[in-house]
Amino acid sequence: MRFTAFRSDLPLRRDTASRFVLWLVMVLVFMASLAVTVNSYVGELLTDWNQSVSGTLTVQIPLTAGNEAVTGASANKVLDVLKRHPAVASAELVPRAKVNELLKPWLGQDDIIADLPLPALIDVALFTETGEAVAAVSASVKTAAPNALIDDHRVWLGRVIGLAQGFAAIALTIMVLVASALGLTIVFATRASLAEFAQVIDVLHVVGAKDGYVARQFAWRALMQAVTGGLAGLVLYAPALGLVAYLAARVDPEVLPQVSLPLGHWLALAGLPLAAGLLAMLTAHITVRRALAQKV
Amino acid sequence: MSLLRKKDEGFTGDTVTMTGVSLSYDSGPDILSDVSLAIPQRSFYFLTGPSGAGKTSLLSLMYLAQRPTRGLVTLFGEDVTAASRGRLAAFRRKLGVVFQDFRLLDHMTTFDNVALPLRIAGLGEAVIQRNVGELLKWVGLGDYTEILPARLSGGQKQRVAIARAVVGRPKLILADEPTGNVDDAIAVRLMQLFVELHKTGTSVIIATHNEALVSRFTFPRIHIDGGAVQVLPAAAPATPLAVGM
Repeated sequence: MRFTAFRSDLPLRRDTASRFVLWLVMVLVFMASLAVTVNSYVGELLTDWNQSVSGTLTVQIPLTAGNEAVTGASANKVLDVLKRHPAVASAELVPRAKVNELLKPWLGQDDIIADLPLPALIDVALFTETGEAVAAVSASVKTAAPNALIDDHRVWLGRVIGLAQGFAAIALTIMVLVASALGLTIVFATRASLAEFAQVIDVLHVVGAKDGYVARQFAWRALMQAVTGGLAGLVLYAPALGLVAYLAARVDPEVLPQVSLPLGHWLALAGLPLAAGLLAMLTAHITVRRALAQKV
Repeated sequence: MSLLRKKDEGFTGDTVTMTGVSLSYDSGPDILSDVSLAIPQRSFYFLTGPSGAGKTSLLSLMYLAQRPTRGLVTLFGEDVTAASRGRLAAFRRKLGVVFQDFRLLDHMTTFDNVALPLRIAGLGEAVIQRNVGELLKWVGLGDYTEILPARLSGGQKQRVAIARAVVGRPKLILADEPTGNVDDAIAVRLMQLFVELHKTGTSVIIATHNEALVSRFTFPRIHIDGGAVQVLPAAAPATPLAVGM
């Protein structure tokens, strides 16, 4: 598609049919930006969680008949077995104070947590996270303490991954809907403009204009409108993101970890106005060519 | 400005031919019925006939705004009856058309209206500035280049329309009542412009009601009435031509 004719021969400033396009693109790009950000944030959060639990196990020694001394002895036995196991890189008993800290966001007051009968917890890091290594370590732990519970976090992580995939699917659906809405808007606006400028277009044809010449004028206008509307959408998005970031920063990091959005996210956002522009331009061009092809 | 154009090289046949051409709108009665004619190169014809006889329809077939319901139309030796839209645009660039209602683009200045065919043809701005400026001076509108059509009189609009039709040095000029909105003196002056273009080798067809104007020139006429066409030979001019641009 050539764009030699940026000077418009059509009185597009008078075009009442497509004035709303710019505003609509602004809203659509705003929505698409939010969808991209939610998708990126959930993805980063998942990566962060995945990295933090990958190759780790948590061994839980339940409180035996309310006797912390028995539980402690059992935990020490398991700890000894783990430290000698060839698949285990490290094994550390989680101090009661740290367990209390973990529970604090959920249960609040220190004195309530201090009185709770809590199991002993052992953080285990494996050299490699293979099914065989997890099974071997689990067997050794069960031998030392038959009532021990071993959590390799896979069930929890699998559900979180499912949630993240759900967010990704919703974000993709929003993008498809936004693109469809933009495409349909451009089609209807372009058809209305073609009707509004029918006499001008007839004159252009009579003096030798090809359909492509006319189509380029509509395509260029659609590109400009969509890029301008897209940039306005990003301007609208910036304070919205700032507000969400401010509110998220006030939440305890143990509940909602702080993650940095990757460079790809910012590049995708920056590309949204251009993508909207290209889609609008192509749609307008094709719409005009198809409409004019039906004439004599 | 020189309105002389290069001689067409290669093509030596008739500029326009119609063979058994009929035209009707929306399956209605024939506006034109079984028309056959040939417009030789470098010819000048008046197209006459009563109102509603089909003059404008005949011209519209020649400037490719319509395709015939039946029959064959050729332009410059090529069949245009079933030509693609892209090919039609190429033919239209060889034509200059003056409409009865001018069809000036009212959002463009006089200069831009006249420059339009050249810009569409992709000519450089320097050439456009020179050619359009000189042509507007020639038609007496040198001081109106930046004026919008809404502020021009009927006669001035007519001259802008004619300038737009001739600025691309077309091979065939089709004019529908080009002197309908001007007084006799201006009409003869505009006719003289067409005659000058004709002398440089351009074929000209002018549809008009103005019998007095037709009788001043020694050109043959195509007379159309009831959908049928007759080609009448030139008559001696009733009034000597004594005009100057």
